Amino acid sequence: MIDGELAVETRGLRKSFRTLRGRRVGVENLDLRVPVGGVHGFLGPNGSGKTTTIRMLLGLARPDRGTATIFGHEVPRHLPDVVGRVGAIVESPRFFPAFTGRSNLRLLADAIGTPRDRVDAVLEEVGLSGRAGDPYRTYSLGMKQRLAIGATLLKDPDLLIFDEPTNGLDPAGIHEIRRTMRDLADRGRTVLVSSHILAEVQQVADSVSIVARGRLIAEGRVADLVAGQAGQAVRVGLASDEVAVAASVLGARGLSVERDGAALVVEGAGAAAVNRMLGEQGVWARELAPRQVDLESVFLGLTQTETAGESV
Amino acid sequence: MRLVGVELRRLWMRRVTWGGLLLALVVAGLAVVTQIGAAQPPSAQEIAQAERYYAEQAEWWQENGEQETASCREAQAAEPGADYGCDRLEPQLEQFLPSSSTFVWHETSGSSATGGLTGTETAAAALSAEVAAVQESLWSGWSSLSSAARSAAPAFLMLAFVVGVSFVTAEQRTGALGLWLTFEPRRSRVYGSKAAAAALGTAPLVLGGWLATVGGLYALHAAVGTVGTVSGDDWAQIAAFSGRLLLAGALCAAAGVALGVLLRHAASAIGGAALLLWASAGFAFTLGTAQRWLPVLNLDAWLRDGAIYQYPARAADPSGEASVPWLTGVVGGAHGGLYWLAVVAVLTLVAGAVFCRRDLD
Repeated sequence: MIDGELAVETRGLRKSFRTLRGRRVGVENLDLRVPVGGVHGFLGPNGSGKTTTIRMLLGLARPDRGTATIFGHEVPRHLPDVVGRVGAIVESPRFFPAFTGRSNLRLLADAIGTPRDRVDAVLEEVGLSGRAGDPYRTYSLGMKQRLAIGATLLKDPDLLIFDEPTNGLDPAGIHEIRRTMRDLADRGRTVLVSSHILAEVQQVADSVSIVARGRLIAEGRVADLVAGQAGQAVRVGLASDEVAVAASVLGARGLSVERDGAALVVEGAGAAAVNRMLGEQGVWARELAPRQVDLESVFLGLTQTETAGESV
Repeated sequence: MRLVGVELRRLWMRRVTWGGLLLALVVAGLAVVTQIGAAQPPSAQEIAQAERYYAEQAEWWQENGEQETASCREAQAAEPGADYGCDRLEPQLEQFLPSSSTFVWHETSGSSATGGLTGTETAAAALSAEVAAVQESLWSGWSSLSSAARSAAPAFLMLAFVVGVSFVTAEQRTGALGLWLTFEPRRSRVYGSKAAAAALGTAPLVLGGWLATVGGLYALHAAVGTVGTVSGDDWAQIAAFSGRLLLAGALCAAAGVALGVLLRHAASAIGGAALLLWASAGFAFTLGTAQRWLPVLNLDAWLRDGAIYQYPARAADPSGEASVPWLTGVVGGAHGGLYWLAVVAVLTLVAGAVFCRRDLD
């Protein structure tokens, strides 16, 4: 559950697209809440409506219905009132290929009346001073991404929206972007990052919203979501001739048991309870380990449930 | 205004714009080069040959002139009201002397102002004062300047249009427009700034090309001694033409922006415009008096302060003869200007509305 002051809030947001086969719903009745401060992960598989939602927040797409607010200002109607506090990269960075990095940023700075010396400061900040005079088309993907982050910083924004910021980056680039996001959040800004790479988000996000098929299926602090799943699954190592018996014992107690070689993965009870149940029947586990639960498994569990629900 | 300034700077940071300026100068150069031959004064050999032809014709006239004149008058009498010019049949030396084009043309200079019309069948055409005014204007006769006004000036306008189209389609293609709108989300302002920047920013291209043409032609004629008489009124007319061309360039650039936004792709917008021009030229005569609503004719009328068009008369010849008389119509300069203003205003309004509502990547 996400409480407190919200940087972004949507209610009943819906967006559909016309296709040759009729209308396709991209976002359906989405209630998104992004708390002020920290990094908020906006997670979902490809095509789940993350980018569409971000585009609606930024006024690049019009919702069919529903409302969205940024720092309490309804968008897109009052976006001009709040746009100075929002920096965003939607999908891949998009600048004029033939212009230099500095020229691209200067045009943007001039458009919002930001002093030109801010451009050089930002280029320094994102480590592009040395290549600022080169045409944008000659930049590597990482440099393009850094320039895009530089563009968002021209406004000194309170909210930064990064849509799949690490797409196509090498590990060093991913690490750099992650560190940048964390730094920004630590300096009091709100960072909304959409991604389908969950390990990356888990390392940096304080809270997350998970969407599938355009709908919100979970939200909350990362720690809470992970804790909600942790301890409910235990890996039980056994002697190979005791695996069948142990499965039978635990199954009879109503637990979900899945065989994994000479081990069982048991869901529905903690390690101590599983050990007691087996011990009572004279079966002794060689290894008992709570299964490692991470955001990815939470995500997979939730999205699979959603998919199953859809198919029923 | 700040946005317009930024967009103007972006316009002139683009290679397409500089390429357009370069092309405009190339067009100006070509307009001058193609006039080199016509601007040369006749050589002594050409004059001697012309005098020989004249002497031969004069000798023939001495023998047959009276008979020719009588035949002419007989034919004229058969058609009441007709003027066959029977008193002007005698050969004159001026008719045989080769002429060179001058910088500007004057109706009194002896060239035929109706040169463009005499080849057409104007049996029933009664030239009104309006038609005469168009035909006698500085831009109708045979001069290097009027020739450039017909060929180079439209090319400058075409360049302004292409620069306008490319200005917005490149931004849409690269996706930079989406980023731009995250900095300035007021789309009507954004559209207005782009249209204004294109209209203002292409002025150096149009005016530069035209002034280079005028200057080059004047220098050419001055170099070979065939400038002719250029009065203060002539320069005023040239200045007025330049002003009208400048405004037309702004409208073409704004139209380019509008079509670029509506059609999204440069090829579609430029191809669509080219198709319209081709259809206008190819099928104009089938439209009768509706030709006065054709874009090219109106542009021509605006630039040259009036343009004429011809169309076949609808009424059948009462005598039952098979001839189809052609009539002449006039489109005034103000009509042409207002027409284009209205067309570009409508295009801009439609494109602006689409731009404000369209989903962007």
